[in-house]
Amino acid sequence: MLKMHNIRKSYRTDTIETHALRDFSLEVNEGEFVSVTGPSGSGKTTFLNIAGLLETPTGGQYLLDGQEVGNLSDRERSHLRNEKIGFIFQGFNLIPDLSLFDNIDVPLRYRGFNAKERRRRIEKSLEQVGLSARAKHLPAQLSGGQQQRVAIARALAGEPRFLLADEPTGNLDSLMARQVMELLEFINQWGTTIVMVTHDPDLARRAHRNIQIVDGQVSDLRQNIAADEAAIA
Amino acid sequence: MIGYYISLALRSLRRTPILSALMVAAIAVGVGAAMTTLTLNYMMSRNALADKDDVLYAVQLDNWDPHEAADNPSEMPWEITYKDAISLLRSDIPTYHVAMHRWGGPITLEDSTLRPYTAQARVTSRDFFALFDVSFVYGGTWAGEADNNAVFQVVLNKSTNEKLFNGENSVGRTINFNGAPFTVVGVVEDWHPSPKVHDLNNGDFMKSADIYIPFGLHRVLEIQTWGNTNGWKPEKIESYEDGLGAEYVWVQYWVQLDSAEQRQRYEDFLTGFIQEQKSQGRFPRPLKFGLSKPSEWLVLNEVVDGDDRMLNWLSLAFLLVCLVNAVALLLAKFLRKAPETGVRRALGASRSAVFSQHLVESGCIGLAGGLIGILLTLAGLALIRQLSMGYMDSVASMDWLMMLSAIGLAILSSLLAGLYPAWRISRTNPSIYLKTQ
Ligand SMILES: Nc1ncnc2c1ncn2[C@@H]1O[C@H](COP(=O)(O)OP(=O)(O)OP(=O)(O)O)[C@@H](O)[C@H]1O
Ligand SMILES: [Mg+2]
Repeated sequence: MLKMHNIRKSYRTDTIETHALRDFSLEVNEGEFVSVTGPSGSGKTTFLNIAGLLETPTGGQYLLDGQEVGNLSDRERSHLRNEKIGFIFQGFNLIPDLSLFDNIDVPLRYRGFNAKERRRRIEKSLEQVGLSARAKHLPAQLSGGQQQRVAIARALAGEPRFLLADEPTGNLDSLMARQVMELLEFINQWGTTIVMVTHDPDLARRAHRNIQIVDGQVSDLRQNIAADEAAIA
Repeated sequence: MIGYYISLALRSLRRTPILSALMVAAIAVGVGAAMTTLTLNYMMSRNALADKDDVLYAVQLDNWDPHEAADNPSEMPWEITYKDAISLLRSDIPTYHVAMHRWGGPITLEDSTLRPYTAQARVTSRDFFALFDVSFVYGGTWAGEADNNAVFQVVLNKSTNEKLFNGENSVGRTINFNGAPFTVVGVVEDWHPSPKVHDLNNGDFMKSADIYIPFGLHRVLEIQTWGNTNGWKPEKIESYEDGLGAEYVWVQYWVQLDSAEQRQRYEDFLTGFIQEQKSQGRFPRPLKFGLSKPSEWLVLNEVVDGDDRMLNWLSLAFLLVCLVNAVALLLAKFLRKAPETGVRRALGASRSAVFSQHLVESGCIGLAGGLIGILLTLAGLALIRQLSMGYMDSVASMDWLMMLSAIGLAILSSLLAGLYPAWRISRTNPSIYLKTQ
C-alpha cells in the first residue's frame, strides 16, 4: 500500500537547516492500522504530509499503491489525494462558515461527482458517524467530538483506501477520544488502511502495529517495546 | 465547477462585507473615472461620415494673407469665399458638391395656432442630402436652378415636419421663414452628427439644422451667415454685393470624389482655378489647397485635442492606482482565508483549482465594481451635461458599446488585480495552515 525508502525532508530557512526526516524507510500493508508515536518535533506530521502528498520529500523514494509519486505533477498528486487519501487533523479543520453538509461536499466537488451522487455519499457518511440530523448545522454548533466525527465523515465520503490521522483525539477528552477511536477501528475493519499519529500510548497499543519516530527516523521497534515495557514496569 | 466557485465567491464576499465593499468601491471608482473620460473622448471623436470616409473631402483654398498663413494646423482658412464657392459649383467633376453655411430665423405658418419659433437653417446647394447620405421621408431636393436663382423652396427635417404638419406629407405646403413664403419640396430624417463634422466652425457638438434652403437666395434675402466669417485684409464693404465679392471666408465646401482618377482630375481643376485667380491678382500665397477626408478633417480641426488624450491617460493611471489598492485588499482577504485553502488542498484541490476559485472571486468583485462603475459614469456624465449647460449633451452620454466596455474593463481589471493574489495563494504550502489551530 505505502512504501517509503530512504525518504529525506529538510526545511531550509535563512540561518538553519532542519532535517525533519532522515533515511526514513517504512512499509504499510493494505488493511493495516498503524499507530505512530514519538517525541514532539520528531517528524511525525512531516511524515504524514509526505505520505498524503501534501509535501514533497527532499530525497528518497515513495511508492503509493505501487506507483512512484515523486515525479507527478501537482494536478496528478491532487487527484490521487482526492481519490485515495483521507485526512483527519487534530484541529478538525472544518470550514467554519460551511454547514456539515457543505463541508463533506468539498472533496466530492473536486472529484467531479454529480449532485445526486454527492448527496448520496454525504448522507451515507453522516449516517456512519451518527450525525444525520445535524447536516444543516455549522461546525461551531457541535461539540469537539462531534466536529471530529464530521471531519471523519468528510474523509470517508470519497471512500479513500488510505486514512491519515494526525492526533485525531488530541483535542478531545477521554470519553470522546474513545468514541473516535472506536469509529476508526470500525472503519479499518471495513478495509481502509489507517495511519494514526498519537501521543496516547493506550490508543497506540490498540493499533495492529506501532512505530516510533525519533529524530526523523523510525527507531528500532523491539528496542521501543522494551523501553515501553520498562516504562510500564 | 465554475458555478461552485461563484457560490464560494459570493459566500466569501458576504463573510467580509466591509472588506468586500472596499474592493468593489476601489474598482467602481476607478472604472467610473476612467469610463467618464473615455466615453467623452470616444463620443467626441466619433466620425458620423465614417461610411463615406473614402470618398468625401472637405475643400480648402489658401486665399490668405501673403505675409502670414492662416492660424491653424492646416495653415489654410477652414472656409472659402462666396465667390469661390460659386465658381467651384460650376465644375462637373465631383459626383456631388456642396457649398453651405449656417443660418436661422423665425418660422411661422399661415392660419395656424403655432407660435413662431427660431429654427436652425442650413443654406446649401442641392447635393447636400445625397453627399451626406441624409435620406428623404417625403419628396426630394430642389432643382439645380435653385442653387443660382432665387427659388423659395425648403426641405424640412422630420422633427420640424412633425411640429408644423403633424408629420403628414407636407410636400407642396407653404411655411414662412424669415418673413418670406417657402414651398416645402421634401422632408428628411433628422441629421445631427456629433461632432458636427460637416461644419466644425461653431460648436462641435451643437445640434445641426432643422430646415434646409437653397444656395441661390443670398442676394434676394441678403442672407448673413450665422456662422463664422474670417478675413485678412481690410476691405470697404458698402453694399451686400460688396460682401459677396470680398475675400471673407464663410462658406463650407465639400465634394464627393469616388475614384482616385476623379480626385486627380479635381486636384488639376483646383490647381487651374487658383492659377487663373492668381493671374487676376488674387491668391497671393504659394499655390495650396486642401482635400481632407472626414476622419482627417476631425483631427485637423482638433475636435479631440492633446489635452483630452492626456486626460484619457490620466484616468487610466487613476484606474491603475485603484487596482493596486484592490490587489492589496485581495491579497489580505485571500491570505486570511489561507487555512480554508489548506483544507481544500488536503481534500484534493489542485493548485489550478485554488487559483481558478480565487480568480472567479476577483471576477465577481470586478462585475459588482463594473455595475457600480457604470452608475458612477452615468452620474459623472450627468454632471458634465449640467456643467456644460447643453453644449455637451450629445457627447456626455453612454451608448451600449460603452456600457459593455465598462463591464469588460471592470472584469478585466479585477482579473488582473486578482491574478497575483490568486497565484500567491495557490502556491502557498498547505501543510503550514493545517497545523493545530
Ligand atoms: N514548514 C516548516 N519549516 C521549517 N521547519 C519545519 C517546518 N515544518 C516542520 N519543521 C520542523 O521539522 C521538525 C519536525 O516537525 P513535525 O511537525 O513533523 O514534528 P511532529 O513530530 O509532528 O511534532 P508534534 O508532535 O509536536 O506535532 C521540527 O523540528 C520542526 O520544527
Ligand atoms: Mg505534529
